Amino acid sequence: MATKARIWKPGDTVPRTIGRSLLLTLPIALWSLLMFANPQRQSNRSLQIASVITSIFMIALFFMMMRTGSTYRWRRWFFVALGILFPVGFIHNVMVMRGTMGIPIEEMIAGRTPFCYLPIPLLILPAAFTKTLVFPGSILPGGGMSGAGMAAMAGVWLAITLVVGKGWCSYACFFGGIEEGMASVPTRAKLRRIDPRWRYGPWAVLLVMVLLSLALFEPAYCLWLCPFKAVSEYVAARNTVGMVQNGIFVVLFGGLVIALPLLTKKRTQCAFFCPFGAFQSIFNKTSVFDLKIDRTRCSPCVLCKTACPTMSLTDESIARGETLMSCMKCGACVDACPKHAVVWHIKGTEVATRPERARLLFLYAAWGMAVMFAGSIIAQGLATILHVLV
Amino acid sequence: MASCGPVVVPSLLAERAGLRLNTRYLSTFLGARFLGYLLFAAVAWELGTLVSLPPAPRMILIGVIHVLLAGVLLWYAYSAGHACAQSCSGSKLVSLGVTKKRGVAGAAALGFLTGLSLCPPFVAAGVRAAELGSVAAALLFFAVFFVGTSVWFVPFVGLGCVARNEAVTTVARMAMVLIALYYAWLGLTMLLGRKLYGY
Amino acid sequence: MKLRAKLGYTAAGMTVFAALLVPFLLYGLFTKGFAALGLHVDEMYSGGPKVRTVQTAGYSIDIHRPVFPRMLQREGPFVQLDWKPVSALPAHVSDVVDVDGDGQPDIRVSFDVPRDAKTPLRVNVEALNPRYEAMRNVGKEKFSRLIVRVDDAILVRVPLAHP
Repeated sequence: MATKARIWKPGDTVPRTIGRSLLLTLPIALWSLLMFANPQRQSNRSLQIASVITSIFMIALFFMMMRTGSTYRWRRWFFVALGILFPVGFIHNVMVMRGTMGIPIEEMIAGRTPFCYLPIPLLILPAAFTKTLVFPGSILPGGGMSGAGMAAMAGVWLAITLVVGKGWCSYACFFGGIEEGMASVPTRAKLRRIDPRWRYGPWAVLLVMVLLSLALFEPAYCLWLCPFKAVSEYVAARNTVGMVQNGIFVVLFGGLVIALPLLTKKRTQCAFFCPFGAFQSIFNKTSVFDLKIDRTRCSPCVLCKTACPTMSLTDESIARGETLMSCMKCGACVDACPKHAVVWHIKGTEVATRPERARLLFLYAAWGMAVMFAGSIIAQGLATILHVLV
Repeated sequence: MASCGPVVVPSLLAERAGLRLNTRYLSTFLGARFLGYLLFAAVAWELGTLVSLPPAPRMILIGVIHVLLAGVLLWYAYSAGHACAQSCSGSKLVSLGVTKKRGVAGAAALGFLTGLSLCPPFVAAGVRAAELGSVAAALLFFAVFFVGTSVWFVPFVGLGCVARNEAVTTVARMAMVLIALYYAWLGLTMLLGRKLYGY
Repeated sequence: MKLRAKLGYTAAGMTVFAALLVPFLLYGLFTKGFAALGLHVDEMYSGGPKVRTVQTAGYSIDIHRPVFPRMLQREGPFVQLDWKPVSALPAHVSDVVDVDGDGQPDIRVSFDVPRDAKTPLRVNVEALNPRYEAMRNVGKEKFSRLIVRVDDAILVRVPLAHP
């Protein structure tokens, strides 16, 4: 009598077979080949080699996700690599083109300020009322460090957000990997008691920054509060106020991105401060993927709550069987749950019915975006290092 | 709307929910703002300094007002948390002060200070009013100016429909603290006579 | 399978399909859509649209429309003038400019053009029309009063006098 093929599911004591894992990885491998086999890369040897390394790296990580059934552990490698290599590539480009990380006023007048996605929520109201973009960039490619322009960044942000919702914060944000790396360093958190009301911080920062940007017609967050100015670029200071602004960036970076993650093992900048993250939370309502808790299996041991890097699980939400709106879909809670009660889920379906299918569908979408967007950034950073060393 | 938004929106959200209560808040805010306008208009017109107020003393005056506004916002943020801890179901506006009886509605304090704050359209209106023949005409002009600008506050009433829970009130209080820090910084830089921007 | 579950799986499948379309269709579509919204960068940064060009010996002066700040913007009103090309400018520029095109001189602008492009620029502006503010030895203090070199042009922003 022929035996039925064994359907692997999370919680199985044996990993998925290598053959099946390779089969499931094949679409990502083909996608990766498509993304990195860009004719423009052929002319630059460092970029060629970096693209191959990045491609193998992303494929290998996805293979391990399939083989082990674990998501967070492998995603984290990718995310930390992104957080380290983005500043490497970016700062190198800035130094080559401009000779300094400070943006001089003439670059702003020329519309050559690089535009990242962080100010997007601040630009909406002024643009809606006056059709004006309160950012010294170029809408279309403007040369220099303006890259592909504001329209391109807005376009890629919208496209990826429609696909992964707040998963942007786990698969696309090129800053979050720094604090995720810092949070991974200690084995235990030194600061364990954190007032859960700090979770509302990003919404307060978002509210204030949106109101101030509308009142003053300037990108208030970029000028005053963005911690990542410390690893990208900033307005060149020419007097006391400029020095104070730059001092604020350094303090916020040191505190929220380096020190607090080391002490708490949480992504503190993301969880307690980032206004863009709060804005992205809205798209968790539109995303078809989420994470649920099967209450028939849940103890509750609250290990998921401890593991969550952004405090997106509370006792009340666990009792309800769901994560909070701030969930970044990183998978830490799923991997931490000893009863496999926390599961990937597709809205509309029964909780814990074929969770691996939900996980696969989500990962194909999210990892596809990661390869396309973040992968190219990783390759650029790697190419910079190869170019310098080789 | 844009200039008062950073003050009005968080403080409105820190109040208890309800269209009626929020309308009362806005009425108190606008009424106190109107008093601030009239006070400034009458005093400045009488002193003859409205048109000729030089930039430096004007900056110091605005700086002081900004620092006071920052203080009131911080006190308001504290009082809102205190008020909610005692009773979230009441129908009174958040009071500043040790006891409710002696407290001043936070809305009134904020409205009065924003009324005194010399925002550019206010100064422009002041110059226009100073060209009129009498203080009564100037006050009437300011009253009409006030009504015209207050229409823009009507949409804020809609915030009364936003449900108030721990999340909303905590966000509002945190936002008030951040705005207070910003106004404190603005005020201090004006008092020190420093340039505001580094570029 | 219930209808809701079917819809859920359909949406999930479409999401994966949309992910495939991102680099080939969606990204370009959204980018063009954004560019087609008719938005423009704040004139405080861009300097406003060019309205006239004055030809002088070997070079030209582009005059932009005056830029007025929004209500609470901290900069003052200004008008931007562009001298170009830099290669055609003499070592010292001193031009009387009719900014508003009424046939009357409004300002006299004087600045040196150093050979080294990295040397900081300084400008003096004499106000022949009280509508404009004079400037003395100004560099690049703020967006509304400065002299900078941008590519092959030297930009001067002359503040308008407050009413």
